[in-house]
Amino acid sequence: MKKSLLIFLSALLLSIFGLLMIYSSSHIWSEYKFNDPYYYVRHQLIFFFIGLILIYFIRKIDYKLYYKYSNIILLGSFILLVLVLIPGLGQVRNGSRSWFGIGSLGIQPSELAKISLIIFTAKYLSKSEKTIKFFKNGTLPILLIIFLFFGLIMLEPDFGTGMVIVMSLMFMLFISNIKLSFFGIMGTLGLGGIAALIIIAPYRLARILSFLNPWSDPLGSGFQIIQSLYAIGPSGLFGKGLGNSVQKHFYLPEPQTDFIFAIISEEFGFLGILIISILFLTLFYNTIKISLNQKDLFAKYLSFGLIIEIIFQTILNISVVIGLVPVTGVTLPFISYGGSSLLISMISIGIILNISREK
Amino acid sequence: MFHYTIQKRIKFVLYLIILIFIIIIFRIFYIQVFSKNKLDDLANNLWSRNLPILADRGNITDRNGVILAGNITTTSLIVVPVQIKNKEEVAENLAKILETDYLNIYSHLTKHTSVERIHPEGRRLSYEKAEAINKLNYDGVYLLKESKRYYPYDNVLSHVLGYVGIDNQGLSGIELEYDNYLKGSDGKIKYYSDGKGLRLNLSEVYDEPVAGNNIALTIDINIQNVAERELDNVMTKYNPENALVLVMDPNTGEIIAMASRPNFNPNNYQNYDLETINRNLPIWMSYEPGSTFKIITLASAINENKVNLFEDKFYDNGSITVENARIKCWKSGGHGAESFLNVVENSCNPGFVVLGQRLGTDLLYSYLEKFGFGTKTGIDLNGESKGIMFKKENMGPVETATTAFGQGISVTPIQQVRGVSAAINGGKLYTPYIVKSISESQTNEMIVLNQPKFNGSVITEETSSLVRYALESVVANGTGKNAYIENYRVGGKTGTAQKVKDGRYMVGNYILSFVGFLPADKPDYVVYVAINNPKGVTQYGGTVSAPVAKNIMLSIIDYKNYKEEPSEKSREYTWLDEKYYYLPNVIGMNLSDAKKTLKNFKIEYAGEGANIIAQEPNSIWVKEGSIVKLLLDD
Repeated sequence: MKKSLLIFLSALLLSIFGLLMIYSSSHIWSEYKFNDPYYYVRHQLIFFFIGLILIYFIRKIDYKLYYKYSNIILLGSFILLVLVLIPGLGQVRNGSRSWFGIGSLGIQPSELAKISLIIFTAKYLSKSEKTIKFFKNGTLPILLIIFLFFGLIMLEPDFGTGMVIVMSLMFMLFISNIKLSFFGIMGTLGLGGIAALIIIAPYRLARILSFLNPWSDPLGSGFQIIQSLYAIGPSGLFGKGLGNSVQKHFYLPEPQTDFIFAIISEEFGFLGILIISILFLTLFYNTIKISLNQKDLFAKYLSFGLIIEIIFQTILNISVVIGLVPVTGVTLPFISYGGSSLLISMISIGIILNISREK
Repeated sequence: MFHYTIQKRIKFVLYLIILIFIIIIFRIFYIQVFSKNKLDDLANNLWSRNLPILADRGNITDRNGVILAGNITTTSLIVVPVQIKNKEEVAENLAKILETDYLNIYSHLTKHTSVERIHPEGRRLSYEKAEAINKLNYDGVYLLKESKRYYPYDNVLSHVLGYVGIDNQGLSGIELEYDNYLKGSDGKIKYYSDGKGLRLNLSEVYDEPVAGNNIALTIDINIQNVAERELDNVMTKYNPENALVLVMDPNTGEIIAMASRPNFNPNNYQNYDLETINRNLPIWMSYEPGSTFKIITLASAINENKVNLFEDKFYDNGSITVENARIKCWKSGGHGAESFLNVVENSCNPGFVVLGQRLGTDLLYSYLEKFGFGTKTGIDLNGESKGIMFKKENMGPVETATTAFGQGISVTPIQQVRGVSAAINGGKLYTPYIVKSISESQTNEMIVLNQPKFNGSVITEETSSLVRYALESVVANGTGKNAYIENYRVGGKTGTAQKVKDGRYMVGNYILSFVGFLPADKPDYVVYVAINNPKGVTQYGGTVSAPVAKNIMLSIIDYKNYKEEPSEKSREYTWLDEKYYYLPNVIGMNLSDAKKTLKNFKIEYAGEGANIIAQEPNSIWVKEGSIVKLLLDD
């Protein structure tokens, strides 16, 4: 089968499965909050169809256009990220001022920033093949841009998205001609940065501690992890069956978003998780193959960047749900409820599909 | 070169990501397999709510299976506040049915608790009320079976049975001592609820409660009722400080009846003070036994061959001097010339001082210990005392003399009854006990079966026979004649003990006691009565307690259908000129040996053969020349 078809089918199956699970996990909450069990799934369905249309068009748009307009796209993202911080324009949801509201729908500029930064970085790296080795002329400028955006996102604050962006771009830097010693320095700085962030906002420390032992504060910082484990632990090989989750009954808060993976595990068991993982890996593997086959450096970096962003976010989300890393607040691509997140993932797939036409 | 690097690094990232996915999948596998049980339990605790169902407590019955402590099943109202939608409406209707005010019920319905019991209005509901609530059919309103302890005989045997608290937990007596056997395990209806406490449509689990074990006591409720009735009469007639009755089978140590006043009603234990509830006088109270203790001195002296009741003579001039202390007889002027059998009949103090002196301190003391004084009897009830004895090294001639007639030591009624039982049952000391058996309530399978606990022989069978004989005389001719029952053989001994307060004897304040047994030749029951400071009556055990014991024994005779058995000695018979011999058991001997053994008796034969297979009478003291009937066979 063609790689592009496998990529499209994987993304499609994940999204459709996402719709199913959003309904299954959210209808209780949805009924309770909006008197409408279909509230969440209906919204997601709208974005799903918009996403399909976007894929259809974007796969026909020559990716070289992004190369040409990367600065404008980045500038647009930058402006939106600044605007969203202004009270009145940006709306606060789940403690972050990160949304532009359009009726009951919403757009997150930080999601848009992901793609803009990946395009910009891909262009930057493809142009500075020789100079990237040098810190002052090569690495420093792109780092300044990355951390400018990271800083803006942290002002919302949205640590999870900031984390995903920085790590995706670091992966892109890693595959470029950069010296490996640079990552040693970056790692040290990163740890220092995390330490600084914890000092600024101590609730992050509680999150880290709760990940080490969620039962130390079962009603506070450990609450979500414990509730998540209660969904995963008892599910067994085949799970409780579609619709039979107990944890979605007001135990796991907002189960259709960050912790939807726990409900999948509860209802479909180990087998369900295995299938989800295989779909994500199929998507990842085939895109990496496309990236490896590209002769155009921009296309290589861009396809790699887009897929690493999706896969890193996936890993981060699942790791949170199963208690491997502290709670960071990122969604599961294609599956979690969230219009912006789904659209950005679909757009990424559209771009990758366009790149796959080139050899 | 450059392209080589980027391809290599992309591949590296590819493998890294695949590796991370494998780690993640293993981690999930670990959670679902190795942490599954722990998480299952925790999650189930989180999801499930329990509606409690109290288990029936095991029954406590008497020796014949009559229920003394049982259960009544009632219906109780339980609400799960979060499941109740229209709290105002539910509260209004429930308040109407329960005949209480709206706000009271409303406060129950709005409590922040998972399961709320409507107490006390919602407990022990009548059928009509329960039915009315059931018809409303509200969510979150549950009617559950509840079991409540019930004592059908109210005050009867209250100290032994004890009582239970609001949660059916044993708080005194058998209820406390055997709580682990009686309590059973509570059941529950377990249902699943969501995070807000609402009921989920998942299967419910019904854990059936397991009833506790049944306990059968050695008590006979018929005799217990007699004891209670007599004590009620005593209370009305004499208004004493307290009074008690103890009936025991001397051949096993089984307690047949145990009653005391003041007592309480375990159905309404709240109305009584704890002292009344917790003091089970027959095992807790200890006091100078007085003359009933003389039985022990008598048995010891006979067993040591220190006295021949029929031949040894004594002259009582009204007092006896021991080391400058003058010990008076209760009868001023004394009893004059008497045999030692008369000494027993008359309860003559100087006579018993002489018996004590003949035994000496060491022997008397060793017998007191052997008869079990100074130590707890080990009865299977809470709150037993051990009494007070002189320390042996402090026991001089005066202490020995007073101990011999029951002064200067302190014993509990249960010790007294155990000691007397050993003196008259052939010399065997048994541990008293009150729990006969414990059995599983569903299958009736026996879990515990208590057997008589034999603690060794204190005196010989022969001595014991003579003690019985002397005590039968006490009732026939002596101070115990108020317990005499025409045509039945009864033995006994009175006791009048002065009470001690602040180290001095109180004036006109006595504990009057009587210990009796029947039938006198082969006792089945020992009956002990003690009345503390009766008012408006001559303060002698013979006048106050003996008639009470007589009434109890009469009832036992009636209840147990004892046949009339005229005693060889009528009340007026005089013993002094007759010679008495112990008639030994010759069953199993051959004829010639039996003839030698029975040389002081006239023998009548029946049957043919060389061996004796039956003998009548047997093992008692009889007049010289009495007829012994023997049945012969090969």
